[in-house]
Amino acid sequence: MVKQKKLSIFNLKTSNLIILTFFLIILYLYFSSNVKKDHISKAYITNQGDNTVSIIDLETLNTLDTLEVGVAPLGITILQKKKLVFVGNVGTDDISVIDAVNDRLIKTIKLGTAPLSLTSNSEETEVYVTDWFQNNVLTISIEQMRVTNSLNVGITPSGIAYNKKHQYQIISNRDANTLEIYTKDHNLVKKIETGNHPFGIYTEGDFVYVANVYDDSVSIINLVDWSTYEFLVGAHPYNVRVHNKVAYVTNTVDDTITIYDLDSKKTIKTLDTGETPENLDLNIKLNLVVVTNWGSDSISIFDIQTLQLLKEIKTGAQSRSFGDFILQ
Amino acid sequence: MKKIIFTLLAILFSTLAFSHGPTPQKVQESVTIAASPEKTWEALKNYSEFEKIMKVRSFKDKLMKAKYELIKTDVPFSDYNAQIRVKKGENDNESVVQWTARFYRTYKLNPPIPEGQDDATAVAAVKEIVGPGLAGFKKSVESQ
Repeated sequence: MVKQKKLSIFNLKTSNLIILTFFLIILYLYFSSNVKKDHISKAYITNQGDNTVSIIDLETLNTLDTLEVGVAPLGITILQKKKLVFVGNVGTDDISVIDAVNDRLIKTIKLGTAPLSLTSNSEETEVYVTDWFQNNVLTISIEQMRVTNSLNVGITPSGIAYNKKHQYQIISNRDANTLEIYTKDHNLVKKIETGNHPFGIYTEGDFVYVANVYDDSVSIINLVDWSTYEFLVGAHPYNVRVHNKVAYVTNTVDDTITIYDLDSKKTIKTLDTGETPENLDLNIKLNLVVVTNWGSDSISIFDIQTLQLLKEIKTGAQSRSFGDFILQ
Repeated sequence: MKKIIFTLLAILFSTLAFSHGPTPQKVQESVTIAASPEKTWEALKNYSEFEKIMKVRSFKDKLMKAKYELIKTDVPFSDYNAQIRVKKGENDNESVVQWTARFYRTYKLNPPIPEGQDDATAVAAVKEIVGPGLAGFKKSVESQ
């Protein structure tokens, strides 16, 4: 009798232990998958030729998903803290908003005009959109998910970037060969001349960098004393990114990127990409340079330290991603 | 008749996607040639027909890739850049020549887009250059 009782207690403990273990495993799996999902670095590639966005896992260098968006997606920006991706569709005159945690389309914002490029303010409360046809910069309120302001700017507003240090909105006017710098309250601070056909912009600290497509050059503008400096790159540069005083520039007609040392003022290296490399973005955590190749419907991923090609990955048709396209 | 069909197609396409917006157009066509990639590449470098319409920007021997820009001006498209690549075919004596052109329509301002200055017209005009151009090159290489 006593023996039997002991046995039953033992049995109960064993079964409890098994249940507890299962429960812990499930908990672990649940949280570990969530943690991983939250911290994954991804590239969002707008494919203008087939109305999709390719989502690439930058840790495994594999395609995770392809989402349908509006017609002819081009411009993009990512709210890093809110984990929202904004994609501008120039064919349907609207913006697709993607939730970057689950990679689902959560909203379409109607504009009624073609959105070319996008950026956001530091607080991620507003997204700014250049309106190519009406020469405006539209403000989208993130809380309201609609256009709340329209600012008339110079002709053909193309690239846009937000300078966090000075709280400036910066716009390139492609056909006027100028950059316009506005305060966050939309007051014009300065209009400054660039090279011929300024397009993609990058800004950080006291500097703005802009690719001059027809001059095969990049202009650097000092936001404090307004001095400028220009350096030559390959043919028809589209966009530029800077990290640790090194500039990375896409040369669309050469099928290369130029890597330029801003201290020594010399080109460090020129790397072959896919065909017609248009835009690029960096991931510092993983040491990556990601380039969109419009001509070969792919992205090229390079190691920022070794400057070696790690992988070329197929995307949808005519991949562009004009703007910041990496969820860091 | 051909012109009527073309016009109808142009109208149809102009009302579909890409009817507006700053969208570069792409025409990409390939032809298979019965000659080794090396022979085809050499032939391409010496082929003068393409240079009547395009100026050579560069020849990259290692990649077997030629880059061109446009010299013709009386065309219904703009900002044209192209490349012609020679790739391996299914066997050693076969090569694939791929022509990729990137360009825009001539009218870049606000819609409505004037007739003959839209994307469909630009694409059709470039196809008129690329298709017969590749066919002519194939004939030239294979008759050598």
